[in-house]
Amino acid sequence: MATLVQPADAPRRPNIATADIQLPAVKDYEQVDNEILAILKPTKAWFFGLLAALACLGLGAFSWAYQIHQGLGVAGYNPPVMWGVYIITFVFWVGIGHAGTLISAILYLFRAGFRTTIYRAAEAMTVFAVMTAGLFPIIHIGRPWKFFWLIPYPNWRLLWPNFKSPLVWDVFAITTYLTISTTFLFVGLIPDIAVLRDRETNPLRKKILAFLSFGWRNSEREWRHFARAYLFLAAFSTPLVLSVHSIVSFDFAMGIVPGWHTTIFPPYFVAGAIFSGFAMVWTIIIPMRKWFNLKHYVTLNHLDASAKMVLFTSMVVGLAYTIEFFIAWYGGVQYEQDYFWNRVFGQWWWAAWIMLTCNMILPLSLFSQKLRRNPTWLWILSIFINIGMWFERFVIVVPSLSHDVEPWQWSGYVPTWVDYGLLIGSFGWFFMWFLLFVKQLPIMALAEIKEIIPPRMKKGAHHHGGH
Amino acid sequence: MTPEITEATKGALEERAAVKRREFLKVLGVSTVATAAVGCGTGEVEKLIPYLVSPDNTVPGVSNHYATTCRECVAGCGLIVEVRDGRAIKAEGNPNHPVNRGALCARGQSGLQGLFNPDRFRGPMKRDGDKLVATTWEDAMGILAQKLGEVKSTNAGAKVAFINQHEQGSFPALLDQILGGYGIPAHISYDAEAPVATAQANRAAYGSSWPMVDFSASDLIVSFSADFLDGWGLPVPQQLAFADARGKVEGAPRFIYVGARRSLTGLNADHWIPARVGSELAIVNAMLGKGSLAAAAEEAGVAVELLQGLQKEVREASASALVAGGHAANSGELATAVAELNKSRGNIGKTIKPAQGFNAFNGVASQSEIRALVEKMNGRGLEMILVRGANPAYTTPLGLGFATAMASVAFKVSFSSIPDETTALCDLVLPDHHALESWGDAEPIDGTVSLQQPTMDAVFDSRSTADVLLALAKGDPAQASRYPAADYRGWLANRLGGNAALRAALPTALMSGSSATRTVNATRAAALPAVQGAGDYQLITYVSPTIGDGRGANKPWLQELPDPVTKICWQTVVEMHGETALAIGIEDGDLVTVETGAGTLTAPALIYIGIRPDTIAVALGRGQAESAGRYAVAGENAYGILTQAEDARSGGIVYGATRAKVAKASGNQRLVTTEGSGRQHGRNIAQATTVAELIANTNSVEHHHFDGQASVEFLPGLRSPVANDAQGDFGVADSKDKGQYDPNHWSGAAKRRWAMTIDLAKCTGCSACVTACYAENNIPTVGAAWQGPVLLPDRTGFGANITRSREMAWIRLERYWELDREPKDVKFDSANADFETRFIPMMCQHCGNAPCEPVCPVYATYHAPNGLNVQVYNRCVGTRYCSNNCPYKVRYFNWFGYGEPNRTQYAFPEPLHWQLNPDVTVRGKGVMEKCTFCVQRIKETEHRVALEGREMEPDEFTTACAQACPSRAIIFGDAADENWSVAKWAKDRRAYHVFEELNTFTAVVYLQKVNHPAPSASANA
Repeated sequence: MATLVQPADAPRRPNIATADIQLPAVKDYEQVDNEILAILKPTKAWFFGLLAALACLGLGAFSWAYQIHQGLGVAGYNPPVMWGVYIITFVFWVGIGHAGTLISAILYLFRAGFRTTIYRAAEAMTVFAVMTAGLFPIIHIGRPWKFFWLIPYPNWRLLWPNFKSPLVWDVFAITTYLTISTTFLFVGLIPDIAVLRDRETNPLRKKILAFLSFGWRNSEREWRHFARAYLFLAAFSTPLVLSVHSIVSFDFAMGIVPGWHTTIFPPYFVAGAIFSGFAMVWTIIIPMRKWFNLKHYVTLNHLDASAKMVLFTSMVVGLAYTIEFFIAWYGGVQYEQDYFWNRVFGQWWWAAWIMLTCNMILPLSLFSQKLRRNPTWLWILSIFINIGMWFERFVIVVPSLSHDVEPWQWSGYVPTWVDYGLLIGSFGWFFMWFLLFVKQLPIMALAEIKEIIPPRMKKGAHHHGGH
Repeated sequence: MTPEITEATKGALEERAAVKRREFLKVLGVSTVATAAVGCGTGEVEKLIPYLVSPDNTVPGVSNHYATTCRECVAGCGLIVEVRDGRAIKAEGNPNHPVNRGALCARGQSGLQGLFNPDRFRGPMKRDGDKLVATTWEDAMGILAQKLGEVKSTNAGAKVAFINQHEQGSFPALLDQILGGYGIPAHISYDAEAPVATAQANRAAYGSSWPMVDFSASDLIVSFSADFLDGWGLPVPQQLAFADARGKVEGAPRFIYVGARRSLTGLNADHWIPARVGSELAIVNAMLGKGSLAAAAEEAGVAVELLQGLQKEVREASASALVAGGHAANSGELATAVAELNKSRGNIGKTIKPAQGFNAFNGVASQSEIRALVEKMNGRGLEMILVRGANPAYTTPLGLGFATAMASVAFKVSFSSIPDETTALCDLVLPDHHALESWGDAEPIDGTVSLQQPTMDAVFDSRSTADVLLALAKGDPAQASRYPAADYRGWLANRLGGNAALRAALPTALMSGSSATRTVNATRAAALPAVQGAGDYQLITYVSPTIGDGRGANKPWLQELPDPVTKICWQTVVEMHGETALAIGIEDGDLVTVETGAGTLTAPALIYIGIRPDTIAVALGRGQAESAGRYAVAGENAYGILTQAEDARSGGIVYGATRAKVAKASGNQRLVTTEGSGRQHGRNIAQATTVAELIANTNSVEHHHFDGQASVEFLPGLRSPVANDAQGDFGVADSKDKGQYDPNHWSGAAKRRWAMTIDLAKCTGCSACVTACYAENNIPTVGAAWQGPVLLPDRTGFGANITRSREMAWIRLERYWELDREPKDVKFDSANADFETRFIPMMCQHCGNAPCEPVCPVYATYHAPNGLNVQVYNRCVGTRYCSNNCPYKVRYFNWFGYGEPNRTQYAFPEPLHWQLNPDVTVRGKGVMEKCTFCVQRIKETEHRVALEGREMEPDEFTTACAQACPSRAIIFGDAADENWSVAKWAKDRRAYHVFEELNTFTAVVYLQKVNHPAPSASANA
């Protein structure tokens, strides 16, 4: 290992290569266990948080029950805008999910050191986001009790789903993604669950933890197998980061609706997904590092590095926007031209400009290192990006449909309280899972953090150590 | 709370406990059968019992067809009513009938919703305090007999008045005869829609109150505010004649409309001269040489060049058809002047054919007769009033005070079958059968009697008024001998040449001969001169093309049918020009208050380009009292601002005589419109051409086909790329067995390509096809106030669902303005106010390469071998992707459970659901639906020819829209078989496919509209 950068010696605003991020304030393994496992103790604030999440979830559940009973007419659909808040929110949550896998899998393969302390939270976020996203196609369909017809299961009528339909691809993409990301999260947790097991006094919980840790004994053989399995799963997840959101983008790109029918959607959606996912990671991790006293784990260097990632993906997304406009003009198809004009300067200008401001303009502030190392700004920016990315999907879904090729059917779209109820409910559902996770399992990977801090040696020897 | 066990319930419980085993088994058996019988429906069990003994000629599941006569307006069109298992389910035109030749307008088709109206009287009613309560027929008849007896015994016949709906045929004669028996004067034959002034002037000038106008024989049509395509006069025969003429393409007449507001008729004109209301007379007079064109132009508020052009065209036309209508107080004089002009042009007998005229308006009472009656009532000169089939308490200007006057009459009787404002005032209600349940006749044209026969048993406990009157007369010893017939049918048979003759004529419901003449009640007050009143705007109140004078307002089909011009449904709007709106400082939907001498009306404004800036217009017929039923309350009542004005000669009501003040009111309302953008934005959806262009193209363009050309490749089966793909390995081009999608497959499944052509040169935009589709395909209406969300309804009131574009019309009439800017931004130019309008019916195009098919995840929509794009409701999960991907936007989603009886959104409240077509599913909530090309009719015909062991004849059947079309613009059939008409029309030189560039290979082929520019303009072109 290269020389450690001590805080005292460090330049005030260091420019640190992402692979080299270290945790100088973390001295030994006990400290890691003690500090991170201390989070698991429930607090009053946590209970209130959970209560708020459950209240939001309750609103969502009520809205859904009402909608199932009455019919989709209680939502704000306004034909030809046949897709609305639910599909937008679906794509939004799938997108959120992507940063987790990117951080835990791709950055793992690329040995990007700044992922170590944030990847567990990001991965949990991924699983919960995909769980949230997966609900929305069901919420969205007219007869949700028949959703299983989209799944190819053997039946005596020999009826199969239409494998040409992107919605069937979606079913595969989402279920695959949920399976893999859940497995990946769980496999990464095994050594940490073993730590919990060892510290647990309640016999029942101990038994459960022992079961979940697969009897982990910290042997070298286990570590060797674990590392292989983890690497394998990382390699397995990596293409999913690209494919899942590509497939989600096919929901639009395969249609012939002006504004949807474009080949740029897959890369554009993947970049947007990573962009929004990182923003959501910030939204979660920045308060966490403050409330749980983890500033020496998620250091400004970590945030700085992730901010560069956000800046990069923001520019990719911005480029995609520009190319869309350019192609609409260059393609010479009147429907496309009319639609893009209407999107940016017509009926939907406000939505388009929310999107452009939040996703293209505000992230440019990250060129400033000062702002990259300002957690408050990053958190505010993350909220803007979350809003901007929700509106990106809004701008794709609603204005395209409302301004299709048939002028007689052009319309507007105003969501109702049911739409908002389910949108809020989705946050309630997501945060309920996340809050429960935070108090049950370590939010940071104990084992991986221990890998990068110097092992305990005899007194005075640890400066010579290293991996 | 625990229910208390009272002595009574205890007794019942004990009794139930004492049921013996044998009884229990009996009950079990019966209830099992009952459950099984009820299981599929929601009706009462008793209704099913008659079918245990099946009536003759009733085969379950097979329709009977009865010919009868339409009574929704006075035209007297022939109907064929389809009756399934004893219930009338569809009204279609009678192809053999000389008046309508098989076509039927929206109002005629909606007669069924009058028959099955949920607000209909269930039986006789009598007044008890301030409300009507049910009674028995014996009681009700007894009361009426007693009252009439008193009238007779006290010689008070002069103090009794009978208002009957204006109708042709024998009944008026019977009525007067029976009334005469009590010393009561002849009845008043009332019709608020009748153009009395014009009819009377026509009679004087032509010798026929409504001469036949043969547009085909003319090369120029000029309408002086005559809205002959708007339901004015006799809608169906006029439209048939007009469409016949315009469909000729080469040699079709050019059409000029003179009037302050472009009605549907006006929008169908090639040229618009926006003359002020009432100035048409000055224009015609100037053309007759009485007065100068310049002065007429000044009065009309148009550039004199327009009138010079008009005069020149009329002079140069070899045969012109000049038609007079008008909203103003001088419409009688106008008709006379136009007749004179027609005569001077030699049009009589050539285009205007009095000898083939219609009888519809013979003997119709004028407004001044009604006013005389009101004066009599106010002067306590009336002790008893009887009303049948008319609603004068609503359809007269509120200022006339008909309702107040009528309320002061001691005894009021109604024979209406549906509650309305007039009936609400009555002391006794003896509900008449609906026209589709009764016997009757009409003589729409001289020498032809059109019979009316019951198509089904009475829905409710109603009785034919004719039978009631006959029974009363028989009960009166002095009169009984004059009525030997047992009932009205017998009376009618005697009158029409005997029972055998009647029976022989019933299959077509047509017989030659003459049925009736009648005495005309001539008691009328001197005409009220029109009072101009104060205000900056000329007000036109017009009879709605969809709901008429208000008689259609209780029928949800007609409420939901967008007005062909404004595209407004369920709502009353104030139409004004964009300049007017700008002057008042309002936009679409802002509330405005219209004030006339008669009253005020507050309603949202609608910016309409086809109206003069100094004129505003409001449609009549909506905003009825709660007593008129659940649907009729939608909108505002424009009779409240209608001033009392009568035509000087005839005393006919004048709908456009007053001036009005218009002021902005606070607030706004969403316009209940089905219009998205009213312009095509250069997308060539509704295309038009001219004769000159057609000739030039035919001569210059070489016709050759290329691969993938939509005009050829939409033909059947494998030629569609998607259908080929769907065959998997069988779809490979060199495979021997291409599956049933191969036209040569042994099953012949892909032999056909069901297709449709729509001739836009004929289509007037009347929207009869829309209602036909609602009737045939069980399409729910969704605009009622209670059909939205139950909890926190986001927009209350009628049309809430439609403001969210959730109407379900499988076929819709798009009405495009050919403008380069939004209509509200168009400035009015008195020298050139003309603009072009194009109508195009849009329904599922049954694409050969349908964008909806590949995106459905569950194959709920797929491509059938015969070219149909099929929607499987049971398989649909409601992802709505198909609708997103449909470029034509012709798929409709069931946002609520419109077909579920226990929901507030239920679209067919008892007994409206009796009309539902048993061949078509009532769709559940959460599934997509769309035009099926009436697949049930295709299948029915296929099965029938299979049973009869023969091949299908070309043009053997058609779809509901094509059947109804009063323009005969829609042709349906097998485009792959040269013998079908559609195959010929699909190759017409005007044929095109909408959005051909999207490679959808549509099965609906449109024929371009043909415009007829002014002769000089076309010479320049």
